[in-house]
Formats: sequence, C-alpha cells, structure tokens
Amino acid sequence: MTSLKLVEGYMPMQMLFELAFCVAVFAGISYLLSKSGVQLPRFWQGILFWVFILMYLKYRIYPPIPFSVRAMYGTVSLIAVFMWMSSNEDDWRKFKQPIMNVMDGITPFHKILRVAYLVALPFVFWAFSYNSFLPNLDEPIELRTVHPAPPASTKVHGKTFVLQTSQNPYRINPEGKYDQEYSNARIVEQGMGRLMKPDANPWDQKAEGYLKYVREGGEIFFQNCHFCHGDNLNGRGLHAFAFNPIPANFTDPGTIAQLQETFIFWRVAKGGIGLPREGFPWASVMPPWEQHLTTDEIWKVILFEYWHTGYYPRTWD
Amino acid sequence: MRKFAIFPAVALGVVLISGSAGVSLYAQEAVPEGFKKGELSPLPSAEMIEAGKRVYFTKCVWCHGVEGSGDGPAADRLWPRPRNFNQGTFKIRHTASGELPLFDSRKPTAGQNDLFETVTHGLPGSAMPSWDGILTDEQRLQVLSFVTTQLVKDRKFDDKAETSTILQLDSIKPIPASKESLEKGAQLIVDKKCIECHGVNGRGDGNAFNLKDDWGFAIQPANWHKCWNFRGSRRDPYNVKNIFRTFSTGVNGTPMPSFADNTTVEERWHIANIVNSLCERDSNGEPLPIDPLTDKPKINFVMRSGPVEGDISDDPENEMWQKRERRIVALGGQITHKPRNFVTRIDDIWVKSVYNDKQIVFLFQWDDRSKSVATEKPKFQPTEVNLEGYGVKEQDPKTGEEGSIAANQMKYNVYNDALAVEFPVKWQELPPPEKPRYFWGDQKYPVDIVKWEADGSIRAFTGKGWDQDFEDRDDYTEKVKVLKSEWKDGRWTVMISRPRKADYDEDTYFEVGKYIPTVFFVWDGHNGDIGRKMSVSAFYYTILEPPIPKETYIYPTVIAVGIVFLEGWILTRRAKKRKQTAAIR
Repeated sequence: MTSLKLVEGYMPMQMLFELAFCVAVFAGISYLLSKSGVQLPRFWQGILFWVFILMYLKYRIYPPIPFSVRAMYGTVSLIAVFMWMSSNEDDWRKFKQPIMNVMDGITPFHKILRVAYLVALPFVFWAFSYNSFLPNLDEPIELRTVHPAPPASTKVHGKTFVLQTSQNPYRINPEGKYDQEYSNARIVEQGMGRLMKPDANPWDQKAEGYLKYVREGGEIFFQNCHFCHGDNLNGRGLHAFAFNPIPANFTDPGTIAQLQETFIFWRVAKGGIGLPREGFPWASVMPPWEQHLTTDEIWKVILFEYWHTGYYPRTWD
Repeated sequence: MRKFAIFPAVALGVVLISGSAGVSLYAQEAVPEGFKKGELSPLPSAEMIEAGKRVYFTKCVWCHGVEGSGDGPAADRLWPRPRNFNQGTFKIRHTASGELPLFDSRKPTAGQNDLFETVTHGLPGSAMPSWDGILTDEQRLQVLSFVTTQLVKDRKFDDKAETSTILQLDSIKPIPASKESLEKGAQLIVDKKCIECHGVNGRGDGNAFNLKDDWGFAIQPANWHKCWNFRGSRRDPYNVKNIFRTFSTGVNGTPMPSFADNTTVEERWHIANIVNSLCERDSNGEPLPIDPLTDKPKINFVMRSGPVEGDISDDPENEMWQKRERRIVALGGQITHKPRNFVTRIDDIWVKSVYNDKQIVFLFQWDDRSKSVATEKPKFQPTEVNLEGYGVKEQDPKTGEEGSIAANQMKYNVYNDALAVEFPVKWQELPPPEKPRYFWGDQKYPVDIVKWEADGSIRAFTGKGWDQDFEDRDDYTEKVKVLKSEWKDGRWTVMISRPRKADYDEDTYFEVGKYIPTVFFVWDGHNGDIGRKMSVSAFYYTILEPPIPKETYIYPTVIAVGIVFLEGWILTRRAKKRKQTAAIR
C-alpha cells in the first residue's frame, strides 16, 4: 500500500492541495536550479509540467477517471500551460525557440532531429488514429442522477408520508418532542474515526429515548444493511465487491449529509426499483425495504445512519 | 460466558488444557526453528484502555458484542462468526501455536504487533473490514488496549505463565520460487498431509465437511487459488511471507495446526512457494491486479466473445479456448428479496466465450468445494421460484449461537449445484442504458434465462419478475446444449452452447459488436441454495468481438498522408519567411 493515502470524503480538496503543493515544489526547484545556473529551458518546463499533470490524473486518482474525462482535463491544462508560457512576449519567444530551431535546422544536430520528426510524425498519427478507429469494446459510460427528485409523498405499509412534512418519530428529546438540536448534540464527532461523544453511548444501559433508538437502529443496520453498506457505512460491505456501481457511502459528504431524512425514508422504503428513470432503477439492487422492515424499523435505521456518520439531516427551511 | 452451552464449554476446556500444555512444553524444549524467545509486552495504560472503550462502542460492538463474546447484533447472520475475544484465541500471529498474539500498545510496528495489523488490514473473506484510513493508528491501539485487557477474560497478556515465542520473519531469508523449490513443495504438501483438508489441487475441497473450530462452528479449509481471501493476507495477497507465517504458527482455534515442529524452515518455504504459486494469475503468470477499494481482483464488466471459423471445440484445453482471455465475474449473495442469502460459498466464476456463424458457446469455471446433486426429487417444479412454502427460509436475525448460520452451515438440505445466465429478450429495443430488473426481469422487459443443473439438465426459461414463476421455452431447451460439465478437485467446468438466433420474441439474439446486458447466477447445493437463495452478479455486458473493418486501415493512412503534406507546407512557409527576414536585415 502506498504511504500517501487518499483520504475518503476529501477527494477534490486533497487533489487541489496536492497539486498546489507540487507546483510550489516545482517553483522552488526551478528557483534553486536557476540560482545554480543550470536553468531548465522554458520549453521543457512547460512540457514536463503538462506531462506531470497527465501522470497525476492517470496514476494518483483512484478509482480511475475514464479516459474521456482525463482527455478533457489534459486539454484544459495544456491551454493553461500555453497561457503560462505566453504570459509575456519574452517567455513566449523562449518557449518557441526550441521548436523554431528544429524547424530551421540551425545546426547539424537540429537537422537530424528535424528529419527524425518529419519521418516519425506521420507514423505516430497513423498509429494513434488506428487505435481510435479500432472497435471500442470498453464498458460504456453510464452517468446516472445519484439523487433524483423525490415524489411529493410516498405510501409505506398502508400509510401515506408527505415528504415535506413528515418527521422521524424517534428524533425526540426526553419530553418526547421532535428535537433536532437535542439529537445533533449526541451524534458522533467529526474528524478521523468519527467516535461517539463520551457521554452519549447508545450501549449505556441507562440510555433512554434518542440514544436507545440509535442502538435499536444500529441493530437493524447490522442485521440487514452492513452486508452492502459496510461496517463503517462507507459502502464497502461483505458483498460490495460484486456490485457496479458499488453501494452508497454514507460517510461521503455527498450522500445522506445532503439530504432530508424523509428523502432517505423514501429511498429505503422503495429501494432501487422505486427510482425514477433518471436514477437508473436497473443499476441499483437496493431492495424495497418495506418488504423486510416495518416503518418504525426504517426510521430507526435512518436515525442510526445519521448518528454513526456524524451528519445532520438537512431540513426543509 | 453464560452464552456458552455445554459443547462450547467442553471445547473451551480443551483449548485451555492444550494451551497450557503447549506452554509448559515450550518452556522445557528448544524453540522451533525460525522462532526466538521474546518478552511479554507491558499492559497498556489506563488512559489507553478508557479511550479504547469509546472506539469499541462506536465501531466494534455491533459484531463483537457488549462482552466481546462475538455475539453482537450482526453475529447470527455471519459466517465466519465474529471473533469471541473472551478466550484470547487469535488466528493470525507471529507467535508459536497456542500462544497469545503480539500486541504492544506503544508501537504500531509491522511484524511486531499482530492484533494491530489485523485491525489495520482486516480479515478478507470475513466481514471484518480494514480499519486503515477510518481509525487512526492511535485509535486502533486504543481499542486493542481495551479488547486485550477487558474483553479477553480467560488469559492475561502479562501473565507470567504465558510465553512469547516469536517467528523471526524479517530475518529469515526467503527461498526463491524456483522450479526446484516448487517441485519439493509439491511433494511436501502430500507428505505433510496438507492436501487432506485443502484438496489435491488446493481448492479447499478435501475434508471439507466435518471441520469445526474451537467454538463448535463450521469451518472450511482455505482455497489456495484465492489468496485474496486468505485471512492473513494483510492486503498483500501474493506475498509468500504471509503463507510462510500462517504455516509456521498455525491458526489458533481452528483445525489448522502449526507445522513449526515437524518441518524445517527450508521445507516451509518450499510449501509456501507452491501454495503461493497456485493463486490465480493472468495468462502471463503475473498476479491479478487487485482493486484497492475491495481488496479483490479488479473486474472488467465487458465479457468478450471471440470469433472462430467452423466447429467449436468442447475441450477447454483446445487452442481456440486456450488463447481466449478469461474474465472474472464477482458474485455476491442475493440479499434483495426473501429468502436472502447472507452467506455465499461461491464468490466468483471465470468466463470465456467464442462464437461462429450459428452458435455462441460459454465456458464457465468456478471453485466449489463440493459436488452437490440432490438425492431426492424436489417436491416443486423447476419453474417454481417461490419456495418459502417448501421450507427454504432466510436466517432469522436473532437466534443466538445455536441457531446461527455459523452453527448450521453444514446442515442444509442438499440441492443441485446450478448456474444460470440471463439476457434481456429483445435487448435491441431497450432504450440505452435502460435494462430489465437484474433479478429475473420484469413485466415490461422479460428476460431469457438458461439454467444448467448438476444433475445434467439444462432448461430455457422466460423470467418476468423476481416473484413470478418461470415460463418454459420448450423448443429452445432442445437447441441449448451442454458440451461439457465436470466437477474435479473442487472446480466445476461447464460449457454451454446456444444458437445465436432462434425466435425473436422469446430468445435473445446475439448480434456482433453489440453490448448485451448479462447477469450470472450460481447455486451451491451444499449451501442450501435453491430458488432465490443463490449468488448473483451485477450487470455485465456480453459483446461478440467484431472483425476489424477496412476503414480502420484506410482513414489513418489518409491522415498520415495529410500530415506529410502539412509538414511540407509548414516548412516551405517557414523557409520563405526566413528568407524574407534575412533580406530585410
């Protein structure tokens, strides 16, 4: 395993930070080189930097980005390199110089280089276009809407739930009233590990109300859901390796943290089969959990999922 | 402890006796080759233990239970069952057989802290995930401080009666896997009786049905061909050192003994080399690429069928099959609809395919520790899918140890092993990327199902939904042929031929160059798999490789010629411009 880990849930920010860090390091190296009088020509600086970006996108990012997307990023960064190179007349001239030298064949070495390029380029283009004309047998890219628009209401076990007004009956304070502030004060803490607050242990024998329901929700989760969504709710369960796409990762800030509790209720109760067309119902094996769980059990599982990930459900206002 | 019924209590007694016998034995005799006497680590601080409790009750309690007896809410539906910590029996260690594992709360050093590495890398093939990147090093040491001092109840990590005899894995030089070493290893696995349990080909199909662990739960020998499922693979499955370690130390609590006393270090390397060489590799003999997200082989969801001229051979050793690339299909349990299959014993199949102008042939190979053929005729029709009335039930969530999956894993009614492949009927009319429901289609998009069973039968069905009985397609059944079906040394080889075209309204057409959605289903008869209880894949695509069109050669040539002209144009322009500038100067 590489020692430099991609930290889950911090993907885009981590990538930008790493790239920024590398740019700073390159600037430092280039400064040191110019100090010691062996400055890399502008032309090669540009080329190397662009190649670095391409390599970073190909080998650093996991899961891999499809070629078409990388090609897009590659083009954008090529343009950026050109802008950098042409930011002033002097730099642009320095950048062009090696190309012009080869074209003009100013020394015998450049002449040889010119001939080599003239012969090689048609072949390279031939091979490249041959590859692109070969029948493509890669997996087709199918982009689905991850959070499609929910219906206004959903009927579960004979009862209709209006998504805008329904509430989780177990998100309650000791007075028995719906209270998000009370429950939010007792969810696990953000940061590495996401551990529970020391004074809010659902397994405490004295745990009552909200925390007791969290434990009951956890029991249901670990009897039904962890097989796919994983022990840490990160979509890496026992059977997850067989899935395409892999099951939802609740610790990712882009899933349950972005959604209302009633949205989750609808998704859990109706499963993949209940998705609208843009959600690709055929690409989800999520069961309609109303076939396996009672309404109360579904609400408790949702309570547990927010508790365990340390996220707040979004509210309608 | 109160959870322990009569049998486990006896088993526990045996563990303790054999454990202490082992201890006194080692105290008197010389240490086995490759081992060295070590010191017991000091107990963790009270702060570490207290901090660990918080980690335990957030993350671990759900499987391992409040008292650490492996009886958390998840336990009854898992096999292997979560570890019961109370006895202090741990599987993956650097210490001699029967000893406690290495654990030091002060240093998370690889090779010197077994429990830390287990939590870091997880135990593949079980529900224990890797906690690397989820819990910090510190948090992992904390939780282990809590587990080793509070939940291990029958032994103490600083007990003077305990010994620590440590395998010196870092300083022992491995023997390269030369041809000679592999030959010696092949003989040794016979001499040392490895194959009695692991099977002559190492697929875990030897004495596979009578084994129990110290807690009385069913256990099966490892399949050497799937090294990514080795518990001790430490997310580095092709590393031979893992095998050397397990073989030297044994797996405490299981029938796998330590071979430290009756093999030399050299012999152990030969055995580790042969076992490692059996793990699945690609056609060049290189390790399969492992997906770091799942710690299993990487999957390609496109299944290619290759064109051949003339008749298709039914011999997998034939050149037309040998040169085809095989693809792995990952299988998970069917856990969508009742009866859900929480435990699968078949987690992948290998597929190859070729086609000619009339037929398409699929070659399936998968590891199955037992050939299962139903002993009596089933009471239900082959087309029936709702079998709960016939006693096919899913595991209850709360049964206690005795009713758990782990306790009853070897007691199922035996049904036929089986395999089915599903394609949408009239996939040409599906608006891409729409597909039928993966599970036997739906009313809108019926599917074409061809199912082979271990009794030699093959049938073609139409599926219209997960709870809809299959409809027979008699006339197609006659056109589908089993070219080969053989179970040998823990592996099924099944070859099925079917026409590329038949009745458009009922049977899938296999057109060249098109992506045809495909789902695979496998039943393991000894796992009680029948009806909806089976292993299932995600959607794959079958594609019949098209011949390379002429355009593929023509257009690049046109482009290359264009480039030559472009070069000429640029150079002459440049030369003219230089002349002009020179003239001005």
